[in-house]
Amino acid sequence: MNAVVTLLIGLVAIAVGYGVYAKSINKNVMNPDEKKATPAKMYMDGVDFTPANRNVLFGYQFKSIAALGPITGPIVAVQWGWLPALLWIIFGTFFIGWVQDFSTIMMGVREEGQSLGALSYRFVSPRARTILLTFIYFYLLLIMGAFGKIVGYDLMTNPAVPLGVLLVIGVGLLAGQMTYKWKMDIILTSAITVILAFVGIWLGTLPGVKNLFLAINGGETSPVVFGSVTQAQFIWSLVTLVICYFGAILPIWRWAQPINYVAFWIVFLGIAAGTVGLLVWRPSIPADFPAFTNWNGNLCAASDCSGLEKTPLALGALWPLLFVTIACGAISGWHSLVSSSGTARQLESEADALYVGGGAMFLEMFLAVLSLLTAVVGVGATTGFAGYVGMIAAGKNAGVFAVGLSEMMSRIGVPTSFGLPYGSVFLTLMALTIMYLVVRFMRVASAEFMGDKVPLFKNATFGSIVALLLSAVLIYTGFWARIWVLFGGANQLMAALTLLLITLWLMSKGKSYMWTLIPFVFMYITTIGALLLTAYNTIHQVMTTPGLAIDLVVGNWLAGLIAIYLVISALILGWDSLQAFQRQRAASVEAKAKV
Amino acid sequence: MSLKEIFEKNPDRRYIMFGGKGGLGKTTFSAATAYWLAKRGYKVLVFSVDPQASLSDIFEKDIFGKGPVEIMPNLFAQEIDADQRIREYQDEIRQKILDMYGLDQVPEEIENYIQAAAAEPAMEESAIFDEVVDIVVSGEYDYYIYDLVPLGHALYYLSMASVYDQWIDKITGLREEMAEYDQVAAVMRREKETEEDKILKELQYIKHRINASSSILTDKVKTAFYFVLIPEEMIILDTQKAAGLFAKYDVPLSGYIVNRVIPPELAADNIPDYLRNRMEMQKKYLHKIEQTFGSEVLTNVPEFERDITGLPMIERVANALFEGQR
Amino acid sequence: MSFPPFITRLGRGVKSTFRTLAEIIYGATIHEMVRDLRKERAHLEHLFILIVFGDILGIPILPPYYTLHLLPYIAPNITGWKRSLLRERDLTDLCDQEIG
Repeated sequence: MNAVVTLLIGLVAIAVGYGVYAKSINKNVMNPDEKKATPAKMYMDGVDFTPANRNVLFGYQFKSIAALGPITGPIVAVQWGWLPALLWIIFGTFFIGWVQDFSTIMMGVREEGQSLGALSYRFVSPRARTILLTFIYFYLLLIMGAFGKIVGYDLMTNPAVPLGVLLVIGVGLLAGQMTYKWKMDIILTSAITVILAFVGIWLGTLPGVKNLFLAINGGETSPVVFGSVTQAQFIWSLVTLVICYFGAILPIWRWAQPINYVAFWIVFLGIAAGTVGLLVWRPSIPADFPAFTNWNGNLCAASDCSGLEKTPLALGALWPLLFVTIACGAISGWHSLVSSSGTARQLESEADALYVGGGAMFLEMFLAVLSLLTAVVGVGATTGFAGYVGMIAAGKNAGVFAVGLSEMMSRIGVPTSFGLPYGSVFLTLMALTIMYLVVRFMRVASAEFMGDKVPLFKNATFGSIVALLLSAVLIYTGFWARIWVLFGGANQLMAALTLLLITLWLMSKGKSYMWTLIPFVFMYITTIGALLLTAYNTIHQVMTTPGLAIDLVVGNWLAGLIAIYLVISALILGWDSLQAFQRQRAASVEAKAKV
Repeated sequence: MSLKEIFEKNPDRRYIMFGGKGGLGKTTFSAATAYWLAKRGYKVLVFSVDPQASLSDIFEKDIFGKGPVEIMPNLFAQEIDADQRIREYQDEIRQKILDMYGLDQVPEEIENYIQAAAAEPAMEESAIFDEVVDIVVSGEYDYYIYDLVPLGHALYYLSMASVYDQWIDKITGLREEMAEYDQVAAVMRREKETEEDKILKELQYIKHRINASSSILTDKVKTAFYFVLIPEEMIILDTQKAAGLFAKYDVPLSGYIVNRVIPPELAADNIPDYLRNRMEMQKKYLHKIEQTFGSEVLTNVPEFERDITGLPMIERVANALFEGQR
Repeated sequence: MSFPPFITRLGRGVKSTFRTLAEIIYGATIHEMVRDLRKERAHLEHLFILIVFGDILGIPILPPYYTLHLLPYIAPNITGWKRSLLRERDLTDLCDQEIG
């Protein structure tokens, strides 16, 4: 099959999903009323509630939901073969993804812009809110572990990358100075800083620079510092945490926002160039690249692993694990938080909800398909399936995307010697821009949970350092693939909770709810299954593998315990939701009896 | 120096105030000074900001809350009705809210606030002082003579003026910081103009008004402040204290006027002991006044045989005050 | 000079496509920055209202006459201010930023 056909399948899915299914739900179930004043208008306070134009909100929603998730997930999931991943991306988005994002916005708009926490408290149970908050905290921590490892273990250990990243950060700071302090024209600022950023990335690829960073890493094969952690991994993970520290401590306009702004253009231009390159190239999916490997996602059963230094970890059973491996790009609980407390409070008209919530999700699906293609054709068409297996075995999950993207860009004349480090810088920036926001959230969360008992947590520096230490533990220990699955698990539990909330809300309004109830049941069961399996896998591995490096022992126990905690709280949530269902049923029967 | 000489030598001192404890004759002297100046061809406004003021009584004409009323050629008198003034002001604010937001009715919460603010004790003073600024800056008159509110209130207001000033500066800083955010947002949105902060402008206005009202009291060139006292021990002590406070707030003191002096020519042989003793006592205290305030004592005004009401009596007081006539 | 109608229509179409794209990019980048600036400004506004109209210290700091003078400009903010001060917030209120 040709890669362009895959893209076309994606487009057809969007046309049918958005144009037919989503539109009919919107019209027949939600009945948006254009004339009704939204909370953004009614409660306009300049702080949380301010109306914004639908296109602006579309952009806002899209950049808030689409980050490293839709890019990394599909690449990892290709271990079961590209077909299951593609199908889940398409059907997940079609039946669940947009449903959640869109309905959360509508629920927020109709419920006076209340936050998800407040709504869970009202519709499910008081402790549902607490459980949601702990899901969020674990989710945040797992993001730090998963993304931190991508940056510190994978991307930055490439000696052509670090200088580019550091220079782009510097250029970002300059952009902040130019807009916030010197009040320079934004287009001029953008032009200057984006050009400088590209120059910075190019400087990083010079041989002299590469040799310098190679020396820092301790040579081609970086020596082991402790456990199984190498010098390069240790150094670059530490640098990542330091960058996050600044992002968490400095005012948001001084560090996080201007760097994100410059990074946006780098990412935007990269995706645009990759897409155009793919269309020019129009490669076929290589014959040796399996549509389906095996149920266990075991690459060594599908390809010859004998030449590899390390054998890749078999992911485990396709069901349930695939459905948490790809979260963003198919369905992600995090989106609901953005949708309820961010977008719903800015929506100008109820009629915009589908375009903003649904539209952005379908576009994210497209991004996930593109990312899938970087692995399948970008890497597959040049180095074959074995090339992909080799990179996964070496822990270069994100590296697959960088290689694939640079291959696509090379078709429109961007040399891979630049394209490859560029792709890595691009992903590093994507990860970093999220990581320092995560540390900020963790800081606020710990101040909220602990601040009353331990006043020290109210101190921003202390709160950030605690968050970073916890992150460091997760980054330096355990298997990335396990952390990634847990990250997806926490995320999908939030999705399940949100779908449940929407179902209860729809019931209370006397609307049809099967279209959210079935996705809820599916997500709930699948995620609990995935978490139980992960708990078993991690703990089983420690118990049965003699002489496992100390970092991996700690990491596995940690992952196993987090998984168990998530399962237990999910079960409590299930119990509460069952009761909430019965309450809601009884109420509706009563209401009918009255009529 | 006599009072007349002071007026003649300092034609710039156009804001005239008489201060002192209640009931010593401040209103009388205000009226008499206004009369004397009017007779000399100056256009004069005498006004009272004291709700207990008695300009209406003294001129034998009800002028309360009626704006400047002409008493005789060149002489205008005004008694400010603070309550009415506040009511009008509340309406003005309500109207402004209705106009600004195109409402039919002032929202309840805002209305509550408007009513609560009017009930504040400090409301009356701030309203009165603001009115004084209006009257004085209009510049229609050659002389403004005002019958002050009781001393304590004036001093409190004065002492607060500098606090308000600093405070408004701080608040202005806050508004400016907000304007800075607006500017950066405008740069990002590529908007040419940022909306001007109306509150910032209003703050400048308020600052100007408060400074104007306090500077009327403290302007060394334009203001003349006279203390009225009578030859009695307690009054002398009080006046001394008050004068110290006034000096602290930079109120330019122009001199002291002694009122209610029993005319010495009454000291005939056949007067009752009561009167004689009083005269002895006054003599002692007049001596003390001279020791305490020295050359700043401008004149002694006799005790008159009847109430000071009506223009003929006012003329007599004026003559006593300025021309030294007994 | 006039163009055939289909050219003007095409021109308008291209123009509006560009506008939409520019708005989306604005939404993905500057919108949040501007929103944060406005939030920051709104917090100061609330502080201002608290100081001028709070009456929390018992004595209003500014003479009440002048507080009333400022009231019309503050009026639309007062209800929003109260709601915003009284609204219960938790972590889920803060999560309107990009993650994941």
